[in-house]
Amino acid sequence: METFIQLVIDGLSQGSIYAALALAIVLVNQATGLINFAQGGLAVLSAYIAYVFVQFGLPTILAILIAVVISFFIGAVVERFLIRRFERGDPDTAVVVTIGLLTLVTGIAALFWGYNNRQFPSLFPLGTVDLFGAVVSIRSIGTTLTIVAIMIVLQLLFLRTKLGLALRAVADNPSSAAFSGLPVGRLLMVGWGLAAGLGAIAGSLVAPSLTLTPGMMDFALVYALAAVILGGLNSPLGAVVAAWVIGILENLAAVYVPLIGHDLKIAVPFILIFVILIVRPQGLFGRKVVVRV
Amino acid sequence: MNRMSTMLRNKWVQIGLIAVVAIVLIVAPLMLPVFANQTLIRIGVYAVAVLGLNIVMGYAGQVNLGQIFFLGLGAYVAAYGVTHDWNILVSFVAACVIPGVVGLLIALAASRLGGLAIAMITIALPIIGVPLAKRLSDLTGGSQGVSARFSGAPEWTGLFDDQWQYYIVLVVTVAAFILGRNLVRGKFGRGFRIVRENEAVAASMGVSPYRYKVLAFTIASIFGGASGFLYLAAVQYTSPETLSFGHSIALLAAMVIGGAGSIAGSLIGGIYYVFVPQVTNAIDPTLTAISQGVILLAVLFLLPGGLVSLPRVIRRMTRRSTSRPTQGGSPQTTPAQPSPAAVAQEGPENTERQSRS
Repeated sequence: METFIQLVIDGLSQGSIYAALALAIVLVNQATGLINFAQGGLAVLSAYIAYVFVQFGLPTILAILIAVVISFFIGAVVERFLIRRFERGDPDTAVVVTIGLLTLVTGIAALFWGYNNRQFPSLFPLGTVDLFGAVVSIRSIGTTLTIVAIMIVLQLLFLRTKLGLALRAVADNPSSAAFSGLPVGRLLMVGWGLAAGLGAIAGSLVAPSLTLTPGMMDFALVYALAAVILGGLNSPLGAVVAAWVIGILENLAAVYVPLIGHDLKIAVPFILIFVILIVRPQGLFGRKVVVRV
Repeated sequence: MNRMSTMLRNKWVQIGLIAVVAIVLIVAPLMLPVFANQTLIRIGVYAVAVLGLNIVMGYAGQVNLGQIFFLGLGAYVAAYGVTHDWNILVSFVAACVIPGVVGLLIALAASRLGGLAIAMITIALPIIGVPLAKRLSDLTGGSQGVSARFSGAPEWTGLFDDQWQYYIVLVVTVAAFILGRNLVRGKFGRGFRIVRENEAVAASMGVSPYRYKVLAFTIASIFGGASGFLYLAAVQYTSPETLSFGHSIALLAAMVIGGAGSIAGSLIGGIYYVFVPQVTNAIDPTLTAISQGVILLAVLFLLPGGLVSLPRVIRRMTRRSTSRPTQGGSPQTTPAQPSPAAVAQEGPENTERQSRS
C-alpha cells in the first residue's frame, strides 16, 4: 500500500510536468490552430536560460522567473516572425515549420551548451515527508502543487480578466475579434508567449531529475501529445486530467506489470490511445467536431 | 531555353538520356573510389525511405514523423532472416511485408483521428521503438545491436564488396522509384492528392479518405522496410540507434528540403540526408542540428516546393526580369499555401487569420 501511494504521488508530479506542456500545446492550438512540436524544445531552451542565471549566482526561484519572462518574449517573437507566415496556409506545412523550429532550438542549445548532461538545482529541498504512511519526496509534492497553482492562475486570467476575454475571443473567431477592434496579431503573440512561459516552468521543474540535455523534453513532449490526444485538443481541463492519468498509470504499470517495466512505460499512453480510439474517437473530453465543406 | 524543352520532349532523346544515365550508373562504381561508392549506396538507401515518406506526406498529406521506425524494423527483420540462414529473397520480402503490416495496423487506428493526430501518434514510434528494440534482445541483440553479413560479393563476379552492394542498392532503388512514380501518376496518386486537398470532396467523389490514408501509410511503411533491408546491405549492422528520434526528424527535413510531392525531390532528399551531415560533421558536430533547422526553415520560407522547384523558380525569375513583370508567386506544388509574394503584398490587417469554419 505504501508503494502504491508513493507511486501515485510520483506519477502525479510527473503527470503535472506533462500537463504543463500539454496545456501549452492546447494554448497554442486554441490561438493559432496548429500543433507546436517545438514546445518541448523551447522548454529546454528556457531551462538552459534559467541555468545561465543560476550560474551567475542568482537564487533558483529568481532564475526561473527571469527565464519565464524571457521565454514569453521568445514565444511572442517566434509567433510574429516565423509562425505568422504559415498560420493561414496548409496545416501540414505549419507542422513542418514547428519541426524545423524544434531542430533549430535543439541545435542552439547544443551549440551553446553541448550535449553533456548538466546539473540543474531543484527548487524544492531533497527531503521526504510521511503521507498516509508512505514516504513521499517533497519535490514530487512541490512540483504538483506548483503546477496546480499555475493552472488556477491561468484559469483566472482567462475567465476573470479583460486580456483573457480578448484571448478567448481571438481563439473563438479571429475575424470577428478583429472587427470589434481587438489587436489580433498582438494577442496571438501573447498566446504563444504564455505557452512558452508555461513551458519554461515545466522545463525548469523537470530539469533537476532528468539533468539538462538538449533532448531532455523529447519524452515529455510525446507524453504531452498523448495527453492532448486523449483529452481532446479543445479542452484544457481534459488535457490536464489526461496528463495526470498518464503519469499515474505509467508509474503503476512500470512496477506492477513486469512485461512493461521502466524501460517501456512510454508505451502505456499509446496502448491507452489505441483502446480509447476504438471506443471514443473524439477523445475523453473533446467534442465531436463536424467538418463543414 | 524553349528549344531545349521541346528537344527534351522528343521520345528518342528521352530514351537516349535514360540510356546514358543507366550506363553511367552501371559503370560508375567500377571507376569510383570506395568512399564515393559508399556515399552513393547510402544515398540510395535513404532515397527509398524519403520516397516512402513523400508518398504518405507529400502526396497524401498525412504528416508522418516515424518513418525511421519502419526503416529500423526492416533492417531488424532482414538481420533476423540473414542470421537464421533464410534465402535472401525471403528476407527481403519479409523486410518489406512485416513493416507494411505494422504500418497498416498503426494507420488503421491513427487515421480514425482527423488532421494532425497521425503526426502526434507517429512521433511516438521512434521514441517507443528504441527501448522496445533494447528490450527484445533475443531478436535484436539489445543495445549491442546485431551484425549480419550477406552483401559480400560472390566469387564469380570478381567485384569488390562495395561494388556488389552498390548494385544491390541500385536495383532495389531504381525499382522502388519506378513503382513510386507509377503509383503517384495513376489512380491511387490522384486519390491521394484529392484526399490531401479536401477530404469532403474526396468522399463525395467516392474516394474514401480513411482507406486512402491507410493505404498511403502502408505503402510508406513498405518502402521504409525496403530501405531498411538496403541499410543492412550497406552497413551490415543495425542497433537501436538506427531508429532514433533525431534520424526520423532528419528524414522528414530531407523530404521537405528535396521537395514534397515530387519523385525527383525524394532523390534530392536522399542526397541531402547523406551529404549535409557529412559536411557539417567535418566542420563541427554541434553544428549538425542547428544547420538542419536553419536550412529547413529557409527552404520553407524561400522555396516551399523544395530544392526540386529551384529550376522553375529561376526560370520564372529570369523570365520576369527579361519580359514585363507578371503577377504570381512561387510554383504551387502545395496550393493551399499562400505564396510568399501574396503574403508580402497583403497589409497587416489581411494577415489576420480568417474564421476556421
